[in-house]
Amino acid sequence: MYSSELIKGTLKTIILKLLSQNDKMYGYEITQKVKELTGGKIQLTEGALYPTLHAMEAQGILTTDVVNVGNRIRKYYSITQTGKKVASEKVNEFSEFIDTMIFLLDLKPKMG
Amino acid sequence: MYVLKDEQIKFILEDIRRNGIESEELQLSLLDHICCVIETEMLAESHFEEFYRSILPRFFKRDLREIQEETNLLLTFKNYYAMKKIMLNSGMFSAITFIIGAVLKVMHLPGASVFILLGIVSFCFLFLPLLSILRVKEQKETKDKVVIGIATVFGILISLATLFKVMHWPFANIMWMVSLGILFFLFLPVYFFTGIRNAETKINTIISSILILTAGGLLFTLTNLRTSRWTDESFYNSDDHLRDAALYASEQNQIAFSKDTLSLEAKTLHEKANALCTQIETLKTGLIAYSSHGEEGLTEAQLIRNYGSSLNFASDFLFDHNGKARKDLAQIKLDLADFNKYRESTLKQKPSNLLSLEDVYKFGEKEQGKITWEENNFSHLSIATTLRNFNQLLLNIRLVEASAY
Repeated sequence: MYSSELIKGTLKTIILKLLSQNDKMYGYEITQKVKELTGGKIQLTEGALYPTLHAMEAQGILTTDVVNVGNRIRKYYSITQTGKKVASEKVNEFSEFIDTMIFLLDLKPKMG
Repeated sequence: MYVLKDEQIKFILEDIRRNGIESEELQLSLLDHICCVIETEMLAESHFEEFYRSILPRFFKRDLREIQEETNLLLTFKNYYAMKKIMLNSGMFSAITFIIGAVLKVMHLPGASVFILLGIVSFCFLFLPLLSILRVKEQKETKDKVVIGIATVFGILISLATLFKVMHWPFANIMWMVSLGILFFLFLPVYFFTGIRNAETKINTIISSILILTAGGLLFTLTNLRTSRWTDESFYNSDDHLRDAALYASEQNQIAFSKDTLSLEAKTLHEKANALCTQIETLKTGLIAYSSHGEEGLTEAQLIRNYGSSLNFASDFLFDHNGKARKDLAQIKLDLADFNKYRESTLKQKPSNLLSLEDVYKFGEKEQGKITWEENNFSHLSIATTLRNFNQLLLNIRLVEASAY
């Protein structure tokens, strides 16, 4: 499992990428999906997830849909057009960052 | 899968609220999340509350409240950029408009007031408050926030004082002195003693304090609540000359009207003029005595040199608290009207501008509206100006009277 310090800088990118591949997701689902995709190596903390989701909603990057599930309310998040642009920007930026880090730290990328 | 009961959901929601999650949206998001965790992970034989307590620490490092704090921070961070943008734009706007206004003012071109007004108002009510809010948010310690707050109040007040001074609006001097008072007796001590205790900021605090003290001192030196001695003296001298001229004209008229060749009507006018001048002299004597600050036997020349710039005395003496001319001044106006009418109807002379009693525009500006003759000449003026206007009136009566021989 990676440290929360490492995950913090990429949280927004992870959420946006995930939401651009899925129609709509709720908070718990996002954490589970990330956990499943990374084999448990990345576990999003709720303390970081919800503030980021709320902030992105306020910025117009995400929209929400409220659904009654049994006896409680569930908030589904989906990505907006603006959000899609931000998502691709974020992914590109992160990709360049990785290249720079590989060069900087003199890492040999595993081929194949 | 474990299915939560209504009262258990209610219990979780209340616990979330109690632990500092204030926003309803966040409460509902967390509630669903916690319910999901419980429903997927809790075994049927586990105790609900114990399980709930065991999973809760996953959500925070210190306490649950930190999720609310982090959300607030991120939400204000969005406003932060907007505020910063408005702050920078308003700062640029006020700097440009103020410079244009100042240049126009120096060159006596129209539009100066509008630009200065826009510049200072946007600086005081947009740029400075936003700058202050953003800086306060960046500071962690209360004392630093207080220093920024006081500095902002000082900045707003001194800018408004400058605006009021330039526009000749009332209370400019009071605002100016209050803002300098805030600088010297509130901001500087607080700034100095908070900064000097910290070894890192000690030297900078001392240097900045000296600079602030010097700049404030320079502003205070520039504070000129009165006109210069030179201006005052030239004004008082011109009043002396006016008084002499009125006296000379009066003496000449006494000689001229004593000739037997003059008509009865002309002599009647002369008597009317004499009566009017006596009324005015009596009123002047009363005003001088009223404004002498208890000093007995002051001459007019002494009074204006000692107390010439005093305001309110003349207004209080000549007008009642509703701003209406008191009896003596009102009578002088009536008698002046009678004097004019007699000259024009009996002696068939043209009306003279010198003794016009018509309402006039305040400060000669149409926008200011009209004021009466007595308000224009005697209300809200210094003692020196009021007495000078009386002397001018005496001279004018004698000049107009002279047209009858």
